Amino acid sequence: MEFQHLNRRVHLYLGLALSPWMLLYAVSSIPFSHGRLFDELDKAKNLPNWNKAAEMAFDAPAPEDKAGLRELGRAMMRAAGREGAFGAYRQGAKQVNVYHHSVWRSTQIKYFVEERRLVVEDKRFRWDHMLTGLHAKGGFEQDSVLHDSWGVVVDIVCLGLIVWVASGICMWLPVRGLRKPGIAALAAGAASFALFVWLL
Amino acid sequence: MLSKLLRRIHLYTGFFLAPWVVMYAVSTAAMNHRAFFSGEAEEGPRWERRAERAFDGVLPEGGTASAQARVILNWLEIDGAHNARWSADKTALSVQRQRLRDPLRITYTPADGKVVVEGQAAKTSALLERMHRRRGYQQDYAADDVWAFIVDLFIVAMVFWVVSGIILWWQMKATRRWGLAFALGGLAVFVFYAITL
Repeated sequence: MEFQHLNRRVHLYLGLALSPWMLLYAVSSIPFSHGRLFDELDKAKNLPNWNKAAEMAFDAPAPEDKAGLRELGRAMMRAAGREGAFGAYRQGAKQVNVYHHSVWRSTQIKYFVEERRLVVEDKRFRWDHMLTGLHAKGGFEQDSVLHDSWGVVVDIVCLGLIVWVASGICMWLPVRGLRKPGIAALAAGAASFALFVWLL
Repeated sequence: MLSKLLRRIHLYTGFFLAPWVVMYAVSTAAMNHRAFFSGEAEEGPRWERRAERAFDGVLPEGGTASAQARVILNWLEIDGAHNARWSADKTALSVQRQRLRDPLRITYTPADGKVVVEGQAAKTSALLERMHRRRGYQQDYAADDVWAFIVDLFIVAMVFWVVSGIILWWQMKATRRWGLAFALGGLAVFVFYAITL
């Protein structure tokens, strides 16, 4: 198989395989870019963002170090009966919050240290938040093979984007009739990008 | 004719937006491997003092924090996209000047009339993340609005690349079987993660 043939096939098949991610990242960028509009639309519904799901007694030391905080977060997740990705954050000396996010459900678990009390709140489902959550989902910081494999997929998508640009240029180069407008488009894009990096 | 038009638009929009494609790819990889690049994200940015000056301007009374910040930014000759807020006890106005290459934090304390300007040490991973996260429409500056418009254009282009790619692929009979296998394979993996993550 000659190089150009292989190059075309890689460009095509990679695009077809990764098209769900392209559509995800495109559609989920709309609420990122127009967040205020989505928030205003949601505010008009006059519904609470968080709904209390449970409240219970909980007693555990609240360490300052990252590893200890993570371990506490794991214990809070177990007590709340939740599984999956989470982040644990200190909210001052008296409170630790755990945010648990899955594609379809988000939960915050608040630990009030002095009161030895745990409050579990589920987030009201919003499509825009579901999309932005999936857009921003990393993987490698979690302790699960599933999340690590998602992290690998995200890396493959990044690599795919670079390969599309490179393979696109390789396909365009031999076509003499397209050289001038192609160079103009490349140069205009590069100049615009550089201008904004300088301006912003 | 339609096929030719689709190919040309697919090609030229791809070329024009190539710097954004590369930027989003590299910055996503950097964010996906934050721990590898450094502990910076965990620790937060480190601010270094750049300058300290006595403010001799006048802040608009009753104006928003942003309007007051703009007076200070103009006085410093660095007006542009920013966030501003007063401390709870109203003793300090903190302004985050969101410069892409060199973000600044400006603190104005009315008690002594001083303006302190702080910056961050240059870091490639942080610069990439700022580029990736840059929005525009919420700022009152033309350059930010144009950047936000290009981001919107990029969103439309991504959808177009997928749709036009599928149309162009379907016209090439020889690639239909393998193409279908890749498209369905990708979709199956995506659905799996959407259900399980």
